[in-house]
Amino acid sequence: MRQSRAMIASLIGGTMLATTSLAMAETLTVVTAGDQNMVDYINEFLAPRFEAANPGNTVRALGTGPGDAGSQMIYERLAAQKAAGATDVDVDVAVVHQKMAGQMVEEGLLESYRDKIGTGDLVTRDTAKMALGTDVDGYVMPMFHSQTAIAYNPALVPEPPQTYEELVEWVAENPGQFGYNGIKGGMSGVSFVMGWMYAFTDQGEQLMNGPFDESTEAAWSDALAKLKAFNENVTFSPGNAGTLDMLNRGEIAMGPVWVDMFYTWQADGRLNPDLKLSLIGPGMPGQPMYYVVPEGAANAELAAKFIELATSPAVQAEGIVERFNWYPGIDAQHVQAELDDATWQRLFADVGPEDLAEKGKPFPIGPYFDAILEAYERQVTN
Amino acid sequence: MKASPFLGPLLVLPALGVILLLFVWPLLYSLVGAFVTGEGWGLGNFAKTVELYRSDILFTFLIVGLSTLLIAVFAVAIGGYLVLGSNPRAQAILRWLYRWPLFIPFIVAGQLMRTFLAKNGLLNGMLVEAGLLTPLQTLSFLDWRGIVIAFVWKQTPFVALLVAGAMAGLDRSMFEAARNLGASRLRILVEIVVPQVMQTLLVGLILSFVIMLSVLSVPLMINAQTPTMITANMAFRINAYGDYGVANALGVISYLMAGAVAWIYLRYAVRERMEQR
Repeated sequence: MRQSRAMIASLIGGTMLATTSLAMAETLTVVTAGDQNMVDYINEFLAPRFEAANPGNTVRALGTGPGDAGSQMIYERLAAQKAAGATDVDVDVAVVHQKMAGQMVEEGLLESYRDKIGTGDLVTRDTAKMALGTDVDGYVMPMFHSQTAIAYNPALVPEPPQTYEELVEWVAENPGQFGYNGIKGGMSGVSFVMGWMYAFTDQGEQLMNGPFDESTEAAWSDALAKLKAFNENVTFSPGNAGTLDMLNRGEIAMGPVWVDMFYTWQADGRLNPDLKLSLIGPGMPGQPMYYVVPEGAANAELAAKFIELATSPAVQAEGIVERFNWYPGIDAQHVQAELDDATWQRLFADVGPEDLAEKGKPFPIGPYFDAILEAYERQVTN
Repeated sequence: MKASPFLGPLLVLPALGVILLLFVWPLLYSLVGAFVTGEGWGLGNFAKTVELYRSDILFTFLIVGLSTLLIAVFAVAIGGYLVLGSNPRAQAILRWLYRWPLFIPFIVAGQLMRTFLAKNGLLNGMLVEAGLLTPLQTLSFLDWRGIVIAFVWKQTPFVALLVAGAMAGLDRSMFEAARNLGASRLRILVEIVVPQVMQTLLVGLILSFVIMLSVLSVPLMINAQTPTMITANMAFRINAYGDYGVANALGVISYLMAGAVAWIYLRYAVRERMEQR
């Protein structure tokens, strides 16, 4: 109901905004990339808290769809408004992926706000400063961190592979039992491929940190040929959810998934509770999503307040960790203090903090990211 | 009172404006965009399209072509039974049932098929329960077969609706004359009914062809394999790379496919008209 109202409101669009900004009560427009759970989180969890703390103001959330496609839509909306010279940008807070955050900062679409909010110094991780090789320091606050890992069915795989190397052997012995969604069906498959490149080229560090050098691409052909051979014995799944569905129906025994999605589905009873996770070496990528404020946002001050609330330890603990099974956006110690031990431990049931520190990798920097995807299209699927 | 000579054009203007603004302009924009590369004008986007997606282009053509043929067969069969069938009750049930998929959007059809056709999905589950298959013999249909099944299921009612309407308008005395001379029902359908509704059938099939060419949700939801349909590649170019150039080039190829089919139809229609004169 709430959402349909938000949709109608967005259709009425600019004119509405112009009139409401004259009144005392403001409407804060939060646009988020990602699955429906992102919109739910803002509508059901953040909005009531923000509206209670700031009486008279309302939050409306809009979703632009999962994956980089969702971030791309937000980018296009902001870029178009900037190109048209709009002064009151109709997005106050946006939630975007790493790759797009870097591009938005580079094109001057965002406002630097982290120093202005009270929670700005609660995050010291490098993801708050660098987004896939682009300096975004000050422009972003991580909403949460997410991680991919291999989900497996212990009944079928008592001793899961610990590394990509072992996985390759296992797949050769058990053809069709490993499933992933390629690179066109969602980010868990993309993440698996990026981890593959970290494992089978010796360029991991350069891919993650740069600098970008086009000539490195020549050294990928062995890794990609190996992936092509690997794919022969793989079952392809339709999308991130498709991998989980196939695991659940017993059609595959193993596959890469997003950790938060896995735990949430298990908590909702949509996934076999016996399934487990394993983060294989040398590592698989994960990523944060960022709160950003567009340059020239109509309600920039209110936006900063909103993000301050959303990145406060209490909200991060109850909303991000407890409800949605994400890893916190701000530094873990601030959040752990707000939670009982059992809840905190649940987050690390299968993938411990040490594993996460050692094998949780960032995605490659933007230009390598695109180059790897295209090399995959050229050499693996062709 | 004499109408002003400007009134006619003036009344047409809003409709014309809408077409120009919402159809012709984006069409030109995407056509032109296909030739814009990072280094100015050129054929770079098409070179990349052919390099990366040639098998997908062929795949798309074959999948949509095969679906169109199957739709033709089923639509004629349904329409034929509705005019020539001998069991009024079966006819009534068929007439009531066959239109249902018309009201279901492609994305919902994709979602239905995704769980229906999976390896351990509903279809295989029923076959196993019925003792027709063992669990080890089951296959996943979530590949090109799934796309064809979803397309045929969704588009057959549309063509059948048009064809059945045209068939119902034919003069029944012809069928009765043919029956009296001993022709089987199948022969009446193939030799008397279908030739007379060919125009309608072709229009329905061409519309279906063009519609299926543009469907994104079904290949995205059903087909995890490669090759895939070019709509999925267009979405991927834009979402993963922000690359509208190659996406537009793929779009141009899809216009060409649709255009080729329309051209075949026009030739046929013109020839028909000449013969009728």
